[in-house]
Amino acid sequence: MGTMRIDGHDIPFQENDNILKAALAANIEIPYFCYHAALGSLGACRLCAVEVASVDPTQSPRVVMSCLEFARDGLNVSVSAAAARQVRQRVIEFLMINHPHDCPVCDEGGECHLQEMTVACGPPYRRYRGRKRTFTNQYLGPLVHHEMNRCITCYRCTRFYQDYALGDDLGSMRLRNEVYFGRFQDGPLTSPFAGNLVEICPTGVFTDAVFRQHFARVWDLETAPSICPHCSVGCNTLPGARDGTLRRMRNRFHPELNRWFICDRGRYGHQYSEHIDRPLTPRVRDEKVSYREALAAAAEQIKAARDKTSGLGSTREDLESNAMLQTLLNKLSGRFATFSDPQIETATVAAVAALQSSGGAPSLAEIEQADAALVVGDLTAHAPMMDLALRQAYRAGAKLAILHSGPSLLARFAATTLTVPPQEISAHLLRLHEQATAAPTAPTAPAPSNKHEKELADIAVYLTAAQRPVLIGVSETMAVPEIAAMVQLATALGSRAKLAYALPGANTYGTILLTPTTSTTAMLEAIESGQIQTLIVIGNDPLGDARLGTRWRAARRHLSTLIVLDCVATATAEAADILLPVAAWAERGGTFVNYEGRAQGFAPVFQRTEPLPNTVEVLADLAHCLELALPDAAAVLSNLFPGYQAPLPGTLGSALSAPPLTMQTGTTIGPASSAHPGHWQVALASWYGDDPLASYAPALMELAPAAAALIHPTAAFKEGIEDKKQVRLRGPAGTVVLPVQLNNDVAAGTIALSRVTLTQLGVGHGDLLELEHIS
Amino acid sequence: MEAVLTRHIEANAPLDLEAYRSVGGYRSLDAAFARKPEEIIEIVEAANLRGRGGAGFSCGLKWRLRDADAPRPRYLVCNIDESEPGTFKDRYLLYGGPHQIIEAVIVSAYALQAEKAVIFVRGEYGKGGHGLHRAIKEAEMAGLVGSNICGSGFDLQMEVHISGGRYICGEETAMLNAIEGLRPNPRHKMPRPSVKGLWQHPTTTNNVETLVNVPHILLNGADWFRALGINSGCGPKLFCVSGMVHQPGLFELPCGTPARELIFEHAGGLAEGRTLLGFIPGGASTAFLLPEHLDVPMDFDPVAKAGSRLGTASIIVLDDTTCPVQVTLNLMRFFARESCGFCTPCRDGIPYLAQILATIASGEGRAEDLVLLEELSGIIALQSFCAFAPGAMIPLISSLQCFHDHYESHIDTGCCPFDAVNKSGA
Ligand SMILES: Cc1cc2nc3c(=O)[nH]c(=O)nc-3n(C[C@H](O)[C@H](O)[C@H](O)COP(=O)(O)O)c2cc1C
Ligand code: SF4
Ligand code: SF4
Ligand code: FES
Repeated sequence: MGTMRIDGHDIPFQENDNILKAALAANIEIPYFCYHAALGSLGACRLCAVEVASVDPTQSPRVVMSCLEFARDGLNVSVSAAAARQVRQRVIEFLMINHPHDCPVCDEGGECHLQEMTVACGPPYRRYRGRKRTFTNQYLGPLVHHEMNRCITCYRCTRFYQDYALGDDLGSMRLRNEVYFGRFQDGPLTSPFAGNLVEICPTGVFTDAVFRQHFARVWDLETAPSICPHCSVGCNTLPGARDGTLRRMRNRFHPELNRWFICDRGRYGHQYSEHIDRPLTPRVRDEKVSYREALAAAAEQIKAARDKTSGLGSTREDLESNAMLQTLLNKLSGRFATFSDPQIETATVAAVAALQSSGGAPSLAEIEQADAALVVGDLTAHAPMMDLALRQAYRAGAKLAILHSGPSLLARFAATTLTVPPQEISAHLLRLHEQATAAPTAPTAPAPSNKHEKELADIAVYLTAAQRPVLIGVSETMAVPEIAAMVQLATALGSRAKLAYALPGANTYGTILLTPTTSTTAMLEAIESGQIQTLIVIGNDPLGDARLGTRWRAARRHLSTLIVLDCVATATAEAADILLPVAAWAERGGTFVNYEGRAQGFAPVFQRTEPLPNTVEVLADLAHCLELALPDAAAVLSNLFPGYQAPLPGTLGSALSAPPLTMQTGTTIGPASSAHPGHWQVALASWYGDDPLASYAPALMELAPAAAALIHPTAAFKEGIEDKKQVRLRGPAGTVVLPVQLNNDVAAGTIALSRVTLTQLGVGHGDLLELEHIS
Repeated sequence: MEAVLTRHIEANAPLDLEAYRSVGGYRSLDAAFARKPEEIIEIVEAANLRGRGGAGFSCGLKWRLRDADAPRPRYLVCNIDESEPGTFKDRYLLYGGPHQIIEAVIVSAYALQAEKAVIFVRGEYGKGGHGLHRAIKEAEMAGLVGSNICGSGFDLQMEVHISGGRYICGEETAMLNAIEGLRPNPRHKMPRPSVKGLWQHPTTTNNVETLVNVPHILLNGADWFRALGINSGCGPKLFCVSGMVHQPGLFELPCGTPARELIFEHAGGLAEGRTLLGFIPGGASTAFLLPEHLDVPMDFDPVAKAGSRLGTASIIVLDDTTCPVQVTLNLMRFFARESCGFCTPCRDGIPYLAQILATIASGEGRAEDLVLLEELSGIIALQSFCAFAPGAMIPLISSLQCFHDHYESHIDTGCCPFDAVNKSGA
């Protein structure tokens, strides 16, 4: 848009850029504290002082704050001018008056912005002779450690926590040189994005409490570009390891995805790979064996039942591992599937088909630009960073509509919330489509309870009026009709509408591309009928499946050999005849395909002291023992996807060229064939720390909501159920006694239960259940 | 001069609506509604009414610069946060005459065509604020506030906001944040509050003393107002005198009255045998003046020419038993305490200065401390976010100039010379 001069260099700038932003974009260093690209300018720290020459040569130059001054054509700026340097030096001197001189033992040391700025611009000696001001720290929960004396009052933390992430339990209090950043009382931070405080704070006030427990100096950490393995968004991360153990996770900038932030599941979930029960030694039945022995035992079993071997891949395993297992089974003429629950599989295939046909899912950056959005399900729990992107849209004035059955953190920001039982979601979507097209197809779709007509009409109005509407569904709690209804709605809204689904695993999109037709039911039936004797499972937990765990456990008895490759101690790993522990994701390289279909590579970050082989290596070794020639993963993938090039870690990722999927039909969310009678509908009450891997992360799990049966107060009143009273729930897998918790975010006639409770009961989202009072 | 602003002020028993009307109150409403809003602005500008809140900006010009077509709703904010040390004039107006304030706000809001007025009252003036609130209710019942005031077609809602109680809340933009329920940090002044103020709507802020002049100007004309002042000053002015004088107090006198007359006649002069060391003319954030400045007219431009500011026209007197280093330390401690904590130079720099001053005052200062004070105060004054810190630096910088010898003697003798003198005198 124009050019200005900074210390003799011509610097281009965009309209409305301030001097600091334009300079940083041109790689010119101007020191700063309170400015942040995501939070904008504030003008509080006064470190970004520069000298600006006056247009009138007889006037002397002025020192201004570069973050508050618009860049202008022909502006002549000096960062190095003595006057500007003096201001920066004094600012540092002021900030260091009260700052503890504990750099040698401070956990921020080595990546402290204050330390860097002090070295770069500060005075070398201390002149202040008075006492220092001190603060009392707070307990902020298991994830973030608080050390207020280090604060330099840049307000970044509250601007992120309150203004950006819309949290409300951390703020600035008091005034003068006693401004305090914390909570009203000690207690765990409640925002799913609280961990970002660790990075947003330029000094060591907020530090990573998990990293602190097993601390290393940051310059000693091994790092490499990685991808978060905890959900389908695929945020870019930078793990840090030392002495063969993984210590911490940081955000890594991706301009279209997570940009400067990650969620707390992503930041703290990594502890699963250091879990005390992590399987590290191969095992054959009850005996610990060497890797070679375990491989030999596995090969022997497979040889014995050569054409009766099948494999179950996983949506949390990378593209390479799944593709290798599939190839191995092709050679063995066995079956290959990747889901443990066929209902979720069908829905996910439909979702990926819908994403492919709708012209591509919006990136997080695009979701932020939405001016209206419809969310179906609890987005925060399934794709936390999509939630954060929607919060940005909300801040910019977008209208949000939330259609959900159980607790949803986003509902607070919604212009319209429709809280309906799982089995009514689809009817609401169809009715919304009718409203949006204003041409009701006769006969009208099964009328949702009429009381929502007004809300649906409102949503239809702002979705149709929007320039950039976005529709996002949580595929794990949807079935094909719900997914199809969203596609229909998106089509009705026209090409400006964008459609996205939060999928149930880091590589779900990738595994669906490998197995485009549903295959789980067929595999399960083949096991039950004795056609399969040996099952190889990689990174999956069918025996721990919420809805079908019982059926899988029964089926397991038909298997002569269960071979499991995993890095967490799942129910399936525990039940394995042959267990081959494998490297966790940061210990190997691979590729995940995110919800947009973006394939992103992650690099091996470190080696354990006693390295474990990765899944691809184990499968290759197994093939070798079976005397099968297995191509390497790259060859397998380029065979599957024309022109495939492994996306390099640290790049922006790339789309895979794959033939389009077809959406199969299916029944709406509701009881499967194993239907259990009852008149309460079950809703999954998940939370942001909840995924199969992060549930092995101890610090994060401290925050897990206590097990309870969540019921809407009105429904509870009708049934004579009181808050906190115990009720008994009976499911196909077992009986559970839980306290009732009244919750306004639960639909009428619905009980919202955690994933753990669902597994204990053997029911899934949308199933029916009976509830008994305990007197 | 006959009292204008304080004529109907009853400090402990303010006139109620009826009594106020019986002495001619609310007459200016007719005078206002008979005119076009822009005519009122012209009259106020012609009267040369300058802001009484401290900066002395022309009231009429400020109103004219608020775009006449500004989008609605528009706000008028009346500032009674009065927290400047030495200043207690707005308190008189608030406690002694709430209806005069309401009248002033109505005609000023009419001139600005503002439909909402907020009167922001210092936290410690809670009782006065409640009295004002009751008076507004009275005026509402009488149809003087609300919709279609006196059949004029002009609507005005009026609210009292009692401050949480900090000096910084009196700063125009910090006050807007305070009214919105946010932290009272000042705002970046681009765009200006007259474009985007309260809740991002056009907002005009005036000190209460500025506004209470407006009804009188409307009734008596711009020429009458200008003629009330002397020595270049215009209109009546409330002066506060405190410190080492016989009769500290509030005096309504012609703007431009010399300091000598204020200190030695109206405030009763100094105690027996004392001589004047110096005085602060306009509240804590103005520069010290010396005995040689006693004849300077207390009006905006002459005081500025003498090197200080008229500010809130609140004189604080120092005599020869007052240690100027102690006085300056006292002021710095005040400003350190009242900093909003937003920007670094003010938040962390002023306590630093106070700490250095404390060492000097107690006789433990070093010669290089004076250089340090000068260096730091210069940076703080120039590089802070709002006008608070520059205001805080003014008395320090001028104290270092006016009383340099006193600072040196503290450092040279290792004690406060005034302590010794005052002790031996006692
Ligand atoms: C730190 C600070 C404190 C202030 N406090 C007050 C105050 O208490 N009362 C007031 O009328 N103006 C105060 N002001 C001035 C206001 O910002 C504003 O300029 C004034 O209210 C405008 O009114 P006027 O033009 O009628 O003088 C303060 C300014 C600053 C920088
Ligand atoms: S805690 Fe950190 S981020 Fe917050 S104001 Fe202090 S230094 Fe800045
Ligand atoms: S100068 Fe002082 S009062 Fe003004 S913004 Fe800075 S810290 Fe706050
Ligand atoms: S970065 Fe400009 S004032 Fe802080």
